[in-house]
Amino acid sequence: MGHKILCIEDNPDNMTLLKRVLESRGYTLVEARNGLDGVAKAESEDVKLVLLDINLPDIDGYEVAHRLRASANPNVATIPIIAITANALKGDAEKALSAGCNLYMSKPINLQELWARVETFVKK
Amino acid sequence: MSTHTLSFSNRLNRDFGTISFLSNLECSGCNTKYSHKQIHTFCPLCQSPLVARYNLDAARQKLDRDEMARRAKGMWRWHELLPVLNPENQVSLGEGDTALLHLPRIGNSLGLSHLYVKEESSNPTGSFKARGLASAISKAKELGIKKVIIPTAGNAGGAMAAYAARAGLRAHIFMPKDTPFANIEESRIAGAEVVLVDGLISEAAGLSGEKARTEGWFDLSTFKEPYRMEGKKVMGFELAEAFGWELPDVIVYPTGGGTGLVGMWKAFNELEALGWLKNTKRPRMVAVQADGCAPVVKAFQEKALFCDFWLGAHTLASGLRVPKSFADHLILHDLYESNGIAVAVSDEAILEAQSEMATQEGIFAAPEGAATLTAIKELLKIDWIQPDEKVVLFNTGSGLKYLNYHS
Repeated sequence: MGHKILCIEDNPDNMTLLKRVLESRGYTLVEARNGLDGVAKAESEDVKLVLLDINLPDIDGYEVAHRLRASANPNVATIPIIAITANALKGDAEKALSAGCNLYMSKPINLQELWARVETFVKK
Repeated sequence: MSTHTLSFSNRLNRDFGTISFLSNLECSGCNTKYSHKQIHTFCPLCQSPLVARYNLDAARQKLDRDEMARRAKGMWRWHELLPVLNPENQVSLGEGDTALLHLPRIGNSLGLSHLYVKEESSNPTGSFKARGLASAISKAKELGIKKVIIPTAGNAGGAMAAYAARAGLRAHIFMPKDTPFANIEESRIAGAEVVLVDGLISEAAGLSGEKARTEGWFDLSTFKEPYRMEGKKVMGFELAEAFGWELPDVIVYPTGGGTGLVGMWKAFNELEALGWLKNTKRPRMVAVQADGCAPVVKAFQEKALFCDFWLGAHTLASGLRVPKSFADHLILHDLYESNGIAVAVSDEAILEAQSEMATQEGIFAAPEGAATLTAIKELLKIDWIQPDEKVVLFNTGSGLKYLNYHS
């Protein structure tokens, strides 16, 4: 099995797309459909990267990033996070980065770029 | 359409049933092919831009390069290499065939004997955006689309509104609230629904994408449909023709979304495939951005394949306030392939260059166009341009759209 990537995304179509793409590259996708589940899975699973949707049904992606960075587990606190948002508002990119995300991407995401970005964070 | 063009079209119709050699769409990322007879946005498999492909072997057999010059002026004289199949669907306001002007006084002062500007402000709605939107709206009409939406940093909104009005389509536009007043008003007077956004074109793109998904508008965002680039590529055809089918040495292009730069490179590939160029010499492409929003410049300097999202984008050249183009990888690819370069310039230098172009050559350029003059001064400092090279600047629009910067 390849490295685990946690995808925190409430849109099933986007989740399916990311799963197809990343699993075709040998990664294992860990799925979380809301922010709280995402934080829990980041703590319990040995994931190497988090793909984080900003618009989530419970806590938003910024709060997820804050909680991960505040984790007592140093592996979680330093895990790379790629923030992804569909409906960008003014300052979203800055907010994502200041919340602790390593990279900001807006949808639609070019999957060639996503592969390249993932591989810079996760050395297989 | 001229009688001459009609007779040629009729001849082509008998052979192919259309006035175009369009064959299919192809994903620029994964090369998956799609039918041009269906409505497409970007590749559903890998979310890369789709590109129109033509049967250039057949075109090479049928088309006479020199006949193009004898047709009625305008973008549509290249109709075999444009995506519209039925001439009744061509929506035109007289776009294309803009002037290529020699710049003798500025050229002399810089030591460049062959300095030119492609003067795109003479297009309908005063900018190069007319070309891409003429093509995209025409194809939308042909495909039966009734309502179109676009996020814009300025001139694309005005052009989209005008061509949509001409075609009888509904138009909706999201633009930053500090977009030049002329762009807002020209869009509204053409009947478009305009929503001003507290943010940049990236935020406008998010909103228009959402509205497109939820309400069925067709999204004409840069590179999120395949046909705007086709109109823009005609700038490359016109340059090749103007220089006697031998391409200039350097093309200096203000780069926001990058449709024109990528489109011209595509045009040169198509001309080479048609056998219309005198030799294989290609221009070195220069992408010019403002130093307050220079994602392509940063990526180029890092030899990256994609751009990072540019934080805090700011420049008076509103067309250059694009924090990340959807086709950043295509822009960078073409810069690398052409042995080109990317240059960032300051707003202060842009305003100086705008004044210089007006006082020395009588051209009231858009800030984006003036940025290209600033860029070549930087390139001359590092001897990247030689005195005898043919250098073409692109003035992408009229300075009249930006009068608030001078008040």
